[in-house]
Amino acid sequence: MPKIGTYRANSVIYFQGDAADKIFVLQGGKVVLNYSNIETGKAIREVIQTGEFFGVKSALGHYPREENAVVLEDASVLIFTVAEFEAFSLKNTRIILKMLKVFSNQLRHIHKQVESLMDNPTTVNTEMGLYKTGEYYLKNRMYAQAKYVLGRYLTYYPAGKVAEQASKYLETAEAALARYGSSVPKDSPIMSPGENTRACPPSAQEHEPKEELTDVAKQYYNAVSLLSNDDFQGAAKSFSVIIKENANPEYVAKSQFDIAKCFMGLKQWDLTIKHLSTVIQSNPTHQDMADMLYIIGDAWHKKGDSAKAIAFFNKVISMPGDDDSSARIKAKKALNTLKGA
Amino acid sequence: MADLAAFTRFARTYKEGEIIFSEFEPGDSFYLIQSGRVKITKIVGDIEKNLDILSAPEIFGEMAILEGAPRSATAIAVEPVKVLEFNRANFEILMMGNPQIALRLLKVFTKRIYDQKRRFMILKLDDPQAKIADVFLMLDETQGGIAFEEETGDRREFKITVPDVAHWAGMDAAEAQNVLSHFANQHRIELFVDHIVVKNINDFSRLVNSKRKQ
Repeated sequence: MPKIGTYRANSVIYFQGDAADKIFVLQGGKVVLNYSNIETGKAIREVIQTGEFFGVKSALGHYPREENAVVLEDASVLIFTVAEFEAFSLKNTRIILKMLKVFSNQLRHIHKQVESLMDNPTTVNTEMGLYKTGEYYLKNRMYAQAKYVLGRYLTYYPAGKVAEQASKYLETAEAALARYGSSVPKDSPIMSPGENTRACPPSAQEHEPKEELTDVAKQYYNAVSLLSNDDFQGAAKSFSVIIKENANPEYVAKSQFDIAKCFMGLKQWDLTIKHLSTVIQSNPTHQDMADMLYIIGDAWHKKGDSAKAIAFFNKVISMPGDDDSSARIKAKKALNTLKGA
Repeated sequence: MADLAAFTRFARTYKEGEIIFSEFEPGDSFYLIQSGRVKITKIVGDIEKNLDILSAPEIFGEMAILEGAPRSATAIAVEPVKVLEFNRANFEILMMGNPQIALRLLKVFTKRIYDQKRRFMILKLDDPQAKIADVFLMLDETQGGIAFEEETGDRREFKITVPDVAHWAGMDAAEAQNVLSHFANQHRIELFVDHIVVKNINDFSRLVNSKRKQ
């Protein structure tokens, strides 16, 4: 139970700098809090209303009193220990909610004051900060994390300074995830962020799969490597060999998708559309469906047929599944550009 | 902990290694951990630094009440994690039904207000030496007697590194290092890899007060 305390006029309930362990409610009389404005140094005098709590923040936050609580007219106050205040407030949730509102306003205000002194490097660099965070995870082979952060970057900054590079990184991260699964390699630094000496260029061909590769896999990665070096002709040839030999359905499906990227690189819009339409018809559950639809849309767009492009981008967006997939993000971005034009 | 069964629709689950939010991402929700551990990290230079590991029933992301403010750190699930997600829309319902959570958040806010206020006072000082000295005074005020430091007379030991000091003082690490080396040369502090000893905290208090009054 809280105690009742009485204070004579001109006495002080607590001084600035005192250790704080009590919370008060004014029952009668007159009490003021004296402190100086942290910005201007101006003396401030805050009159406590009857029934009002004071001394709450320093007591709950375990820091020294920030003001002098001075009695102007004989006063009686309820004195709570922190434990008593907690028990009391838990039965009076409205009081906590009211204080939460007051405190969150104070927090907003002081936060703005701090920002004003910071020459604001934070807000300016938010965009690059997000990008760099994604890049860090990619370089450290934390693909799931890289995918998340880069996806967020493209969501917030679809036309950002480094959006193009972010899309490329995102594709790399997704390709790596598709290859290795969503589980992080055992030796990944995820649980030990202190050691991260494995920084390496985030290009797909750098990542050696753990197991011994089959011939078709070697062929495939060789082709991917050509593709990432913009050797579209060479890559297309290698992918088409894999498709023709038809030795492993997984690599055939991957190659069917990746060869379309080669065609796009060679600016063969019609060929891209024809090829992917055939793939979609023959394999309606293809794992890269969303990305293939996006590429078809992109090919129509490049051909100058906005209506068809929009139709395909809309198909990508209406597909069930991962909201943050790169295909979906890219389709949204493309639609925005087309509609804005 | 209160019965949170009624709030399952605000529940979110995350897999091991999954990011809950990333540093620099705008955010409008904050989280109460129900099970599992969440680590709070920040990428500093080329190193992902662990700031904290939190578990039930801790709250994180509460600075989301500052509209539009970017996240100041990344939150990652260390293991399968269950959280309740709060935002402006469900905030009051959740709080009314869960006074314990409300009280916990209230305490978090008091701490944040103090941190920001102290930060402001430090940044307001013009003199770099006074800024750094005030960082130690702030740490002394908040950590006094709580396991963080060993208190013997006026001597204080702080588990803090140079980049941390620089962060609080709003300086770059090189500038903070300069001032700290200067203090070390004057035998006012001792620098260690993972901690810093202030030989006479009152000495710093006098320094800060003389600069603040000007």
